[in-house]
Amino acid sequence: MGILIRDILENSVEKFAEIKAVKWLQKKEILERSYEELMENVVAIRKGLLAEGFQGKHLALIGVSSVEWIESYLGIITGKMVAVPLDAGLPGEDLIDLINRSDSEGLFLSPKLLPLLDAVLAQCPKLRKIWLLQEEEAQVGNEKVVSLAELKKAAGNNGADADRPNPEDVATIIFTSGTTGKSKGVMLTQNNLATNVEYVRYTAEPGTPMLSVLPIHHAFCLVMDWLKGFSLGATVCINDSLLHMVKNMGVFKPQVILMVPMMVETIYKRLSAADPAIPKQALAANVFGGNLKIIFTGGAHLDPFYIEKFAEYGVNIYEGYGMSECSPVISSNMPDDHKPGSIGRPLANAEIAFDNGEILVKGSSVMKGYYQMPQETAETLKDGWLHTGDKGYLDEDGFLFINGRVKNLIILSNGENISPEEIENKLALGALVGEVIVTGENNGLTARIYPDMDVVQAKGLGAEEIQAGLQAFLDEYNKKQPTYRQITGLIVRKNPFIRSSTKKIKRQEATIDEPLQG
Amino acid sequence: MTNEMQFKTIVAQYCEVKPEDMKNDMRFREDLGFSSLDFMSFLGELEDTFDVELEEEDVLKVLTIAEALEMMEKLQQEA
Repeated sequence: MGILIRDILENSVEKFAEIKAVKWLQKKEILERSYEELMENVVAIRKGLLAEGFQGKHLALIGVSSVEWIESYLGIITGKMVAVPLDAGLPGEDLIDLINRSDSEGLFLSPKLLPLLDAVLAQCPKLRKIWLLQEEEAQVGNEKVVSLAELKKAAGNNGADADRPNPEDVATIIFTSGTTGKSKGVMLTQNNLATNVEYVRYTAEPGTPMLSVLPIHHAFCLVMDWLKGFSLGATVCINDSLLHMVKNMGVFKPQVILMVPMMVETIYKRLSAADPAIPKQALAANVFGGNLKIIFTGGAHLDPFYIEKFAEYGVNIYEGYGMSECSPVISSNMPDDHKPGSIGRPLANAEIAFDNGEILVKGSSVMKGYYQMPQETAETLKDGWLHTGDKGYLDEDGFLFINGRVKNLIILSNGENISPEEIENKLALGALVGEVIVTGENNGLTARIYPDMDVVQAKGLGAEEIQAGLQAFLDEYNKKQPTYRQITGLIVRKNPFIRSSTKKIKRQEATIDEPLQG
Repeated sequence: MTNEMQFKTIVAQYCEVKPEDMKNDMRFREDLGFSSLDFMSFLGELEDTFDVELEEEDVLKVLTIAEALEMMEKLQQEA
């Protein structure tokens, strides 16, 4: 028993064939795709993959939001195949590691990432084919690399269609930060995804414009902007760059946007910096495009202050809670049922329990496990209960609240979960770095470093030279990282970190030290 | 030429530092406390105000006020 994303999509195409499913900008022109046109491409990609022998295989996608990306994703998961969306902002070596660890045999690649191609071809031996996400022919001089347009033609006019997957088949593997420093591949089944779409009760009129501003490889964006949006017959408009988020609200005039708290905070700075003489309604029209009614937030906790402030501009913010392991929504405030400060009521398919204050979740949207990580799976999923790593409680009205964390992960207000160990392992390679702990402070990451005293003494370095040397090392590290993994604060320690009796650094006491200078 | 004061007035929307107190070697993220998204939104405002087009790949290399001013002047000269 269960439902498929293919069921949801076919149902929408039947009901909303002529309605625009996707809109996007090319230069300054708005291009669009109807539900019917979208489905034609999805089916052509699905048939092409079958003809090329990829049934049952894993296929990775690397690129920012685009109509080609989502059509490819749907082509994969509506057949009996597994889609592996990867963060296009990751360094090449990390992407190669994830392609290999996910056992991907095919790759959909944004043409903007062509510089990665040689390394990927050389270091990903399982990859049989790479499709560039473009309509033009791929001219890269390697028979493994063709364009999406060529894949769509691969099956011919009367090509066979791929089998329908089973509800319990894995549909997608989404990588998420691991507490041990190695990212984990969350396996979500067809039924996991489809029931999350179904049990988030939000509804909207067909054709409702939504602006998709989050990264498409994130579960929140992928499932709630795209799959949920398509289930409602909404028109999903693509924000082409975070540089243009406000401008694009004016272009697409969305009614609904999904955001992370950092976006709300940034927009509020713009609102509050405006001339107080400008009426709030006029300012709202200028900043939000004149049509915006609802912002759903998730990924990190939002200060309720913003909910109150945005309401003054006619925009209601509803906070939710989730994680990739739950496909992703666990609870959400809704237009007809909300309590500021809470993260809403749990979805009807999510059972909630607590273990020493930690929130546990059981239900049809809880993942199957971590790909090829049985130990991590066993630590997180116990008797069907997912251990979220967050502490919280249900109030007397059934609203869920969060009040702490059990695990080491740093949750930034842009919704990114950062494993400090993963970054510390990389920073520890610096010649001047003796010991390092990464902490989340002021909406960014701070590296607290105790210098390697052997190097300091050998080179006769003073305090200023140590600071400058470490900052230069961090600048170099930052250049190769996506913005959310960059280090924006540096504190040089005078003393080594305090250690436990087992010689492990006591993370909770990492901020205790005497200042190096002064 | 980019109007430096006009530029700093836009910077000031995203931080607690007044335009007149800003030094050109200040870093957006480390010294002025910009979030990564504040920085992107700020650049979007620069595009609108000074009528230039910025490339995401280029702007990510900018760390300080001086570097941003230099980038803007170069772009305006090219326009």
